[in-house]
Amino acid sequence: MSDHSPVETLVEMRHIEKSYGRVHALRDVNLTIRKGEIVGLLGDNGAGKSTLIKVLSGAVPYSSGEIRIKGRPVAMTSTNDAIAAGIETIYQDSALVPQLSIARNLFLGRELTTGRLGRLDLDRMNEVAAELLKRVGISKNIPPTTPIGSLSGGERQAVAIARAMYFDSDLIILDEPTNNLGVAETQGVLRFVREARDTGHSCIFIAHNIHHVFQVVDRMVVMRRGTVVADDLSPKTSSIQDVEDVITGDHIHV
Amino acid sequence: MSDPSSLSAAHPPEQGVLRRLVAKPEFGPLVLLVAMILVFTVINPTFLSLNNIGNALTFTVELGLIALAMTLLMTAGEFDLSVGSVFGFAPVVMWAFFNAGLMPLPAAFVVAMLIALAIGLFSGLFVTRLGIPSFLVTLGMLLVVRGTALWLTSGFPQRTWDAGEQWLAELLVGDFYVGGLRVYMSLIWFVILAVIFHQFLTRTRFGNWIQATGGNPGAARNRGVPIQRVKVILFMLSAAMAALAGIISSIRVSAANPNSGTGYELEVIAMVVIGGTVLTGGRGTIIGTVIGVLILRLMRNGIVLIGVPGLAYNIFIGAIILGMMALHAALERRHNAGT
Repeated sequence: MSDHSPVETLVEMRHIEKSYGRVHALRDVNLTIRKGEIVGLLGDNGAGKSTLIKVLSGAVPYSSGEIRIKGRPVAMTSTNDAIAAGIETIYQDSALVPQLSIARNLFLGRELTTGRLGRLDLDRMNEVAAELLKRVGISKNIPPTTPIGSLSGGERQAVAIARAMYFDSDLIILDEPTNNLGVAETQGVLRFVREARDTGHSCIFIAHNIHHVFQVVDRMVVMRRGTVVADDLSPKTSSIQDVEDVITGDHIHV
Repeated sequence: MSDPSSLSAAHPPEQGVLRRLVAKPEFGPLVLLVAMILVFTVINPTFLSLNNIGNALTFTVELGLIALAMTLLMTAGEFDLSVGSVFGFAPVVMWAFFNAGLMPLPAAFVVAMLIALAIGLFSGLFVTRLGIPSFLVTLGMLLVVRGTALWLTSGFPQRTWDAGEQWLAELLVGDFYVGGLRVYMSLIWFVILAVIFHQFLTRTRFGNWIQATGGNPGAARNRGVPIQRVKVILFMLSAAMAALAGIISSIRVSAANPNSGTGYELEVIAMVVIGGTVLTGGRGTIIGTVIGVLILRLMRNGIVLIGVPGLAYNIFIGAIILGMMALHAALERRHNAGT
């Protein structure tokens, strides 16, 4: 194993470039995620956050650069590559299927079958799902056969996070997980994120609400105009105002 | 675990059996079916006679077979307007090959089915690779396939009266009596396939993928579900079932008419949506489709028996579709009221 990838490093993105036609969405992005840390990814609209996340989760191809997971180079060409590499992305609107039950969503794409003809092992899926719901603390009166569509926004986030934890993803990427949530539900989601970290998962947390980011992250990475402009801001040493200035670029003129 | 209760909004503990039943998408259509049977029987008791039921069921299955496949396709978020054309085209191909002495009937059957699968494959690839809505792709396919059938035959029906002694014909549309009820093999096929399709949609991994593909394609893709392959397979299945239905029909009526099946696509879609499957995908029910098939079939049969002019049939069908859509929309709204 080479010496630039110490054991604590989970993900290394090096010199990532991405263009859409003539638009340079990502330019020379370098990002490192260590084991068991929550990284806040910040930036204004169009700064390149979501493109970076899509690259890391295999949803869009990158033009050049290198991605290493646990020191090993990974050709991230599809979402399956990312899943195989232990990266779970929870998108705002496309994490769950509203018509399907909690259990069916938990196992979507990795269904438990009884072997013959792809027949679902619904009993075991429901059993595991109920156990999992209990473990993350949302079991109260919600049977695992409930369709996702009848859950609240916070419950949906909880299911998506629980899924990532169950499949032992090393890195959980959360895209705006607290959007449109009430105060109590937001706190619940932040609690799950901390719980995920405390059980050894790394997280990338993307949110527009800097207050939410400050409450939960260990470190903040700021992007502006397609590149990383700061990657070691700590909520302990920087104020919200400082971070906002970095996001908008105002700190340059100070 | 500072505040474990913060995420559990108020969920009703266990809903009553009755309420759960009412909430099922199949409930509305089932009530309508039962009401229809009651009304028709009260007005004209022969409606429930074995003879009439037997007749009604026979004609049921040909459209029903297509409706089963269309249910899966619509659950995945697409639909197929070319099924009526394939229904007319496949038997024309089969009988043309057979009558020309090119091959025995079973081989001609296989060739016709393979051509149907190719049509489905083509539609599926067009929809998934080029991102063109299935409405437009299958509308184009409807015209191409129908046009081909007419052109190949110069518009004349193909001879089918050699079918009598063929084991394949017996297997597909042979009949036998159960008590006083004349049962056609095609009905048996429909029942078997309905059971298989229901199990397939609700109990298998692929069925889960079908529902996810229609429900939230982005989420399905992110979970590694091959949504394009799912859709292509279902387009092929839909074309294959349309071909099978057309071949069964051609043997039953002893004619392979290049024009047959015209307008069937809309009747099939009507059967599926009346049964509770959502046009936009994500939720589909084979049980509902079977009920929808029966509703349309018994309606056609019943209104004639009670003396309504047969030409008024479409008025009733249209009204049922509108009524059912209103009902499903109302249930949906109530279902989502809590979120």
